[in-house]
Amino acid sequence: MKRIAGLNRVCLGMIIFLMICLPLRVNAQGPIKIGIVDTYSGPPTTYTYDVRDAFKLAIDEVNAKGGVLGRKIEFTTRDDKFKVDLCLSMAKELIMMEKVDILMGTINSAGTLAVSEYVKTEKVPFIVTFSKSDKITGEKGHRYIFSVTENTAMIGKAAASGLAKRPYVKYWIAGDDYEYGHALADGVWGNLKKLRPDVQLIGQSWWKVGEPELTPYLTAISAAKPDAVIFATGGASMVNAMKFAKATGFAEKIPIFIHTATEHSTLAPLGLEAPEKVIGTSNYHFYYPDTPKNKAFAKAFKDAYGREPKVGALYGYLAAQFITKALTKAGKMDREKFIDALEGMKVDSPVGEIEMRAYDHQAMLPMFMGVTKKVAGYPFLIATDIITIPASEVMPSIEEIKKARGQ
Amino acid sequence: MAKKESHLKGLWILGIIFILLILVPPFVPRFFTYILALIFVTSLLAMSLNMVVGFGGMFQFHHGVFYGVGAYATALMLTKTSLPTWIGFMAGPIVATLTGLIIGGFCVRLTRLYFAMLQISLGSLLWAIVYRWYSFTGGDDGIHGIRMPPFLQALNHSYYFILIILTLSLFLMYKILKSPFGKTLQAIRDNPQRCEAVGINVRRYQLLGIVIATFFAGVAGVLFVILERSVFADLLFWVLSLEIFIMCLLGGWFTFFGPVLGTAIIISLRTFVGKYTEYWTLILGIILILVIFFLPEGVMGYIQEWFKPGMKEAGQEGKKVDASSRIGL
Amino acid sequence: MAVGWAEIICQFLVGISRSMILFIVCAGLSFILGVLRVPNIAHGSLYMIGAFATFSITKMVGGSYGFWVALALAPFLVVLVSLVTERVLFCHLYQREHLMLILFTFSLSLILGDLVKIVWGAEYRSVPPPELLKGSISILGASFPRYNLFLIIIGPLVGIALWLFTTRTKIGKISRAAAVDREMVGVLGINVSWVFAFAFLIGCYLAGIGGALVAPTVSITLGMDHTLIIEAFLIVTIGGLGNMWGALVGSLIFGVTHSFGVLFWPQFAIVFPYMAVVIVLLLRPKGLLKSVW
Repeated sequence: MKRIAGLNRVCLGMIIFLMICLPLRVNAQGPIKIGIVDTYSGPPTTYTYDVRDAFKLAIDEVNAKGGVLGRKIEFTTRDDKFKVDLCLSMAKELIMMEKVDILMGTINSAGTLAVSEYVKTEKVPFIVTFSKSDKITGEKGHRYIFSVTENTAMIGKAAASGLAKRPYVKYWIAGDDYEYGHALADGVWGNLKKLRPDVQLIGQSWWKVGEPELTPYLTAISAAKPDAVIFATGGASMVNAMKFAKATGFAEKIPIFIHTATEHSTLAPLGLEAPEKVIGTSNYHFYYPDTPKNKAFAKAFKDAYGREPKVGALYGYLAAQFITKALTKAGKMDREKFIDALEGMKVDSPVGEIEMRAYDHQAMLPMFMGVTKKVAGYPFLIATDIITIPASEVMPSIEEIKKARGQ
Repeated sequence: MAKKESHLKGLWILGIIFILLILVPPFVPRFFTYILALIFVTSLLAMSLNMVVGFGGMFQFHHGVFYGVGAYATALMLTKTSLPTWIGFMAGPIVATLTGLIIGGFCVRLTRLYFAMLQISLGSLLWAIVYRWYSFTGGDDGIHGIRMPPFLQALNHSYYFILIILTLSLFLMYKILKSPFGKTLQAIRDNPQRCEAVGINVRRYQLLGIVIATFFAGVAGVLFVILERSVFADLLFWVLSLEIFIMCLLGGWFTFFGPVLGTAIIISLRTFVGKYTEYWTLILGIILILVIFFLPEGVMGYIQEWFKPGMKEAGQEGKKVDASSRIGL
Repeated sequence: MAVGWAEIICQFLVGISRSMILFIVCAGLSFILGVLRVPNIAHGSLYMIGAFATFSITKMVGGSYGFWVALALAPFLVVLVSLVTERVLFCHLYQREHLMLILFTFSLSLILGDLVKIVWGAEYRSVPPPELLKGSISILGASFPRYNLFLIIIGPLVGIALWLFTTRTKIGKISRAAAVDREMVGVLGINVSWVFAFAFLIGCYLAGIGGALVAPTVSITLGMDHTLIIEAFLIVTIGGLGNMWGALVGSLIFGVTHSFGVLFWPQFAIVFPYMAVVIVLLLRPKGLLKSVW
């Protein structure tokens, strides 16, 4: 009996719910709306806050000058808690409810791929700012998705190109046991093997994402005495990997390559406790290239937020530049025209001119390979001996993209 | 007499809700249709969990696994084979039920927290497989853009499909809980020793309860695929299971419709409060604590007691159960 | 690959040192489970607060002894937090049904998680090991971090202290008695509510120590509560709910099988903890050691 009585209340609840839902909002020709769905809680925030903050800085500047096409740009953010289901439902909310003109964001590759399929059906441009899967603009790429961040294919090429110049032969690969780690490792190794057929892979180890204790892995690796180790880690594991490399004295014995080891997101939290001589690659350093443009950008960011910009800031900045420039070129807020304008567009950035490749909608970013070092005057380690790997060497070829897409 | 009347009244209200829900889509923004559909899917999952938690008294801590397995089974059938869609849809509940039979078979040998932890471990093994087997399950990237047959392409169509399946499932669940089997399950929850003493095979009943619940979890998994066209390893992760569990408790786990309410509250909260603040989990936490302090029977339990003096008795019955389950520790 | 004895010994020691942190945290969880009968989901959050507090205190005090001050003070900050929650909220709920208590500790973990974010922000934090324990020593040619050596020493010390506390002090004995038969303890005229409060604080103190000890070895982030809590529950379950030695046995099983697993079958490392639980529970449905549950 009591079950039935519950029905009344369900009814009541639903009616209340509908009443909350019903007041609709009508959107007149207001500002241009951009929706950002990203992870604003948990470890990924180290990266995503910089994307958001740099984006805001750039957009504020545009709005101060009167906006684009006579309209202001407005953006709203959603926190997906690094959960794919939330990411998808929040992206849907931004598109269906907020009626955003352009969608941006995501650091979670699975979420990005899910949202990607959705924007394809809704025909909304989606600019990916941090997810690294090469499927995003590769195998699963389509007209409505753009990426202003590096991906695992690019990292692989860049790292291989840099490592091939070094004398190591016997390698060990270790990393986070998830798609990013494996894709990165495969990318580096495949390309390295092509450039240097004599390299050998003597072993691999994989730990679960967020593994708090890496000493056993490092002990196991040093037992095998490789010439160099490639770490395929990301996020919080980066800081962990560096810490353990230092604590076990591993970094002094065996050269290590870790993508983003030289990046400020990794080095800042470690302060002066980071290991030296670790080889790393990154899209951005606030101290390199030493150009007026980069200095001005880093200064503006530091003035606004009291911290040095990390790699995410570059992505946020790029997204803002691409959006405003493409809107200006398109002449009005029309999604299809916006996409046409964005294809092949070039914008100026702290790391030089960046082109949005027309074929796969992947921003052509150069990569910087450096070695960590203590330098007087900085309360953290920085990258030195930086070599620039130009975008042409980093980007997967269009043939490779076509092949991945099964064309 | 009175019983019959209120029974009729209940049906009446249900009918009205059903018709309202049918009428809703053309009049509300698409997003609300979507959120309603999402609430339907999740509440089916929560109600299936409540069959074992609220009515079976078992610590089913990793129910999400069966949901995920159902969703993956369907997704894989639809993407990897060219079999007709309906076979794919059937695969979800079937695989989920089989998984439920195996995992449940191990778990019913234990009690309470041990039961819970064994289930979390077994479920996590499955999660690890899905998470690691890139070539088959897509690993942690998941499978996205799953194609639906033409009649499910539009959001409104999926909405109606989900609504119909939900209604059917709820009807079935209701019947099951009202059946002698359901009554026995509740008797076992209240006093397993006595049931054992009168010759009921407790474990077998519990296992059957789990199997039935996992069947509906599998159905919910299929509905999830229909709505979102994506599957990903998060669906099998313990965090999701915990969320579902919380939905049951929040709504009121001694009531049939409690989990629906719990689901609706949590999903609306994260959708509509999430708009304004990143800290919606903080607000959710505070709401939960308020509920614990002021609505001890969950939201639905409270509404029942408040609106229906006649329901007081039922409430008391619930309280007695609480006491006994506490002593049973 | 060839694995030498040095590596095996090192790996074993690494496993033990990891077990020690797990043991300290799990002993606290198990103690609360035993006396209060509450699966404290917020335990992981307290551990996280311990780690963040260690970071802040180390930084504030600075110098070579910053970490030691933090190690002494951070757990008390955790105790303070738990004292407030216990007296304001939790103590009114002891008579409530079990699932509601789980719901309560879950809500608490949500709230504490967000509070940590508000107080400490979202950046990764890192605490350097104290000067004395930096670097590594060599064991038969394989290098072993000094800090881990320190953990191996401190783990048993905490264990012994806890054992002395529960067996030799009056309040410890009362807690143990309350774990077995709380009605009887109440009948004897002891204020059970305060016994519970005290037991809760002891458990939380251990979570705080665990957080402080783990701080120099990991990057301190939001979300470290999540990773820990599930592992901690699995450990106390295989050890026997509410049994402190069970927590030790469980932690050792986890730590050591994990580090050997890594050495020999790294590709399966992700499933080891779960496999261990499945095997133990299928063989011994009530955990390895005697449980009060």
